Amino acid sequence: MCNSSETPTRLTRRPASSPVDEMDRLVDMASGRMSREIFWDRGIYEQELDRIFSRCWLFVAHESQIPKPGDYLSTYMGEDNVLVVRQKDGSIRAFLNTCPHRGNKLCFSEVGNTRQFICNYHGWSFAIDGELKGMYASEAFETSGMDKSAHGLHPVAKIDSYKGLVFATFDAEAPSLAEYLGDMRYYLDAIFDMDGQGVEFIGGCVKSIVKCNWKFAAENFVGDALHAGWTHDSGARAMVGGPVAELHKTPGESYQVNFNGHGYEFNQDIVGNCASLGDKELMKYLYTLQPEVAKRHGEMRSRLIGAISSCTLFPNTSFLPGQNTFRTWQPRGPDEIELHTWTFVNKSAPQEIKDRWRKGTMITFNPAGVFEMDDGENWEYSTRTNAGYVTRQQDLYLGLGMASRLQGSGMPGNVFRGQINEANQRAFYQRWHDLMKAGRWSEVPRRDEPTLKEAA
Amino acid sequence: MSQPVWILNKNELSSGSVRRFDVCGNPLAVYNLDGVFYATDDGCTHATASLSEGEIVDDDCIACPVHNGTFHIPTGQAMSFPCEKALRTYKVIDQGDSVAIDIHAEADAASDVI
Amino acid sequence: MSMRQVFPEVPVDRDTHHRIEQFLFREARLLDEERWDDWLALMAEDIHYWMPTQENRRRADKAGPYGPDRGALYDDNLHDLTRRVTRFKQPSAWAEDPPTRHAHVVSGVEAYEGERAGEYRVHSTFVNFRTRVDHDNYLLGGRREDILRLGTEGLRLARRKIVITQSVLLAKNLNTFI
Repeated sequence: MCNSSETPTRLTRRPASSPVDEMDRLVDMASGRMSREIFWDRGIYEQELDRIFSRCWLFVAHESQIPKPGDYLSTYMGEDNVLVVRQKDGSIRAFLNTCPHRGNKLCFSEVGNTRQFICNYHGWSFAIDGELKGMYASEAFETSGMDKSAHGLHPVAKIDSYKGLVFATFDAEAPSLAEYLGDMRYYLDAIFDMDGQGVEFIGGCVKSIVKCNWKFAAENFVGDALHAGWTHDSGARAMVGGPVAELHKTPGESYQVNFNGHGYEFNQDIVGNCASLGDKELMKYLYTLQPEVAKRHGEMRSRLIGAISSCTLFPNTSFLPGQNTFRTWQPRGPDEIELHTWTFVNKSAPQEIKDRWRKGTMITFNPAGVFEMDDGENWEYSTRTNAGYVTRQQDLYLGLGMASRLQGSGMPGNVFRGQINEANQRAFYQRWHDLMKAGRWSEVPRRDEPTLKEAA
Repeated sequence: MSQPVWILNKNELSSGSVRRFDVCGNPLAVYNLDGVFYATDDGCTHATASLSEGEIVDDDCIACPVHNGTFHIPTGQAMSFPCEKALRTYKVIDQGDSVAIDIHAEADAASDVI
Repeated sequence: MSMRQVFPEVPVDRDTHHRIEQFLFREARLLDEERWDDWLALMAEDIHYWMPTQENRRRADKAGPYGPDRGALYDDNLHDLTRRVTRFKQPSAWAEDPPTRHAHVVSGVEAYEGERAGEYRVHSTFVNFRTRVDHDNYLLGGRREDILRLGTEGLRLARRKIVITQSVLLAKNLNTFI
């Protein structure tokens, strides 16, 4: 469905900058200790733009959002605005949303269908494949000998999709998407490929600004099941009339799994997240579906489909099964994110079920949602306290569940006992640390090798 | 009537499509709209662009691939911004299995103004 | 463009207009004062309370910036509104303690006869100020299109559509009703 590999000549990349000093001092996951400076320092943030966001595979779209040739959407990779465009041959391409003439923003609409992208400044016009087709006063450019083929849009280095989720990277040396996602694909299949027909994104993108460092949001979804019982008490009482389940009392029934920084924490109760939407029809739908998913993916994975769980794909894309919210935390400096959220549903679900899920995420996980409203303040103030010069010299704690590693579970990835844990967060920051220290992909430590085949 | 100079077999251009043909050094855009054939200059009157790389829209208009301006195919009239100057059309004579394009004569409909 | 039924706009008489205006101003004060139950009591049983999200699309795009069954910040019936109020009233709603200070400003009130007797189609503009903690200051503006219904117990809100100017909500949350 997507173009991959060949290094395009229209994307210029400079070598990575020199590393920030003392990276080892900032993060020490063996002892569960980390510095606050990684949430505040502008130099570290700029290095993240280089070594994390212009190197990793970043989520850009779901295939269902751009089904027809000429369909496009505008999104971000780090702070780079990109257009993701369905081509005439069915493939997908992505380009920097900027005119190569004087740099103006090219496309001001966030979604639509078009035959070409035309810059407002001098009328430079680009086909949906990125080629420069012409411009206002074209004769003048022809007289001056301009070669249009050298001035098309700047494409991303690679673009690919997994189960309809489209990712792109600016780094031609990045491993394949399959290798990058690695064993996390085993768990993604349980949510994004329950029945062979996959999911679709519905209801458009809901966007908001949260004045926090992107990593607070990403780490919360990678492994922080703990906060739900305290932060979201009010939301749970509003939606289900009682407190959040006391997950720490049943550590034998839940897990944290991580792989190269991606992390998924979950229990096995099939509907725990879904139940928070307070809609019995959705729970019935999942209970009915679960045995079918078990035939396809086995009992353990079938119990994930709406369970109390959360996942972050490194670096900054997360989702919640059951509530069916999918989101990217777009960095806007060390102290701000633009949150982009979507609702996903099985394509094969009845329309009524899809409508119920769209409403369900609306009332729980958007800026007016009864769960999300309490997260924003936690993350904003975890970021903001570091304005204090002395405050940011104090270390932070990330040591919960230090000795909870499970061997021989039969599950792919690094497996830990109990979802009330900080193992996934430690693995997230370990990966962050590895990438920040590495000059290029070949220098990134290969801590976790995929056990799944290349094409899962 | 001057001598038609160029013949095209109808089955060389499927319905609903447009293609560029170079006729005696003149690039023309030839259209098949539901079995009826038309011909215009291939070059847009607004900026350097090849109309045969554009798309047929609204049943009988051609949208320029560069700035999306449209022309009415049967009459060559400019229909939308930024096109203002009409397109040169050519008389097309139906000959059963083929059509003949007379590059010395305009389409009869070119005298119609919408 | 939104789907809009075109029907003649017949202004209500002055007394009715005053009554409707006072209803809206009082509603705004109830929200400023966090009198959630009193506010809920203003809703009709069949209330549809809708604040769609706005997409940046080109003018020629027939889909328009918003629509039913698309993204929304509120797409509520009475049960949904009640659940939100339940959260506001929890002592564990940490993001509400200390409380936010609200000022709901309503202006530009136009009132027309509705399609049914006893119903009124009411337009208004709003500006919402919220301040939390020391520097969290949020501003949201837009328009509302309401259907008010006059019953034995006074006016009730039966429909509200809120169109905000922001496509990216420039706030970490929206912890009030508009």
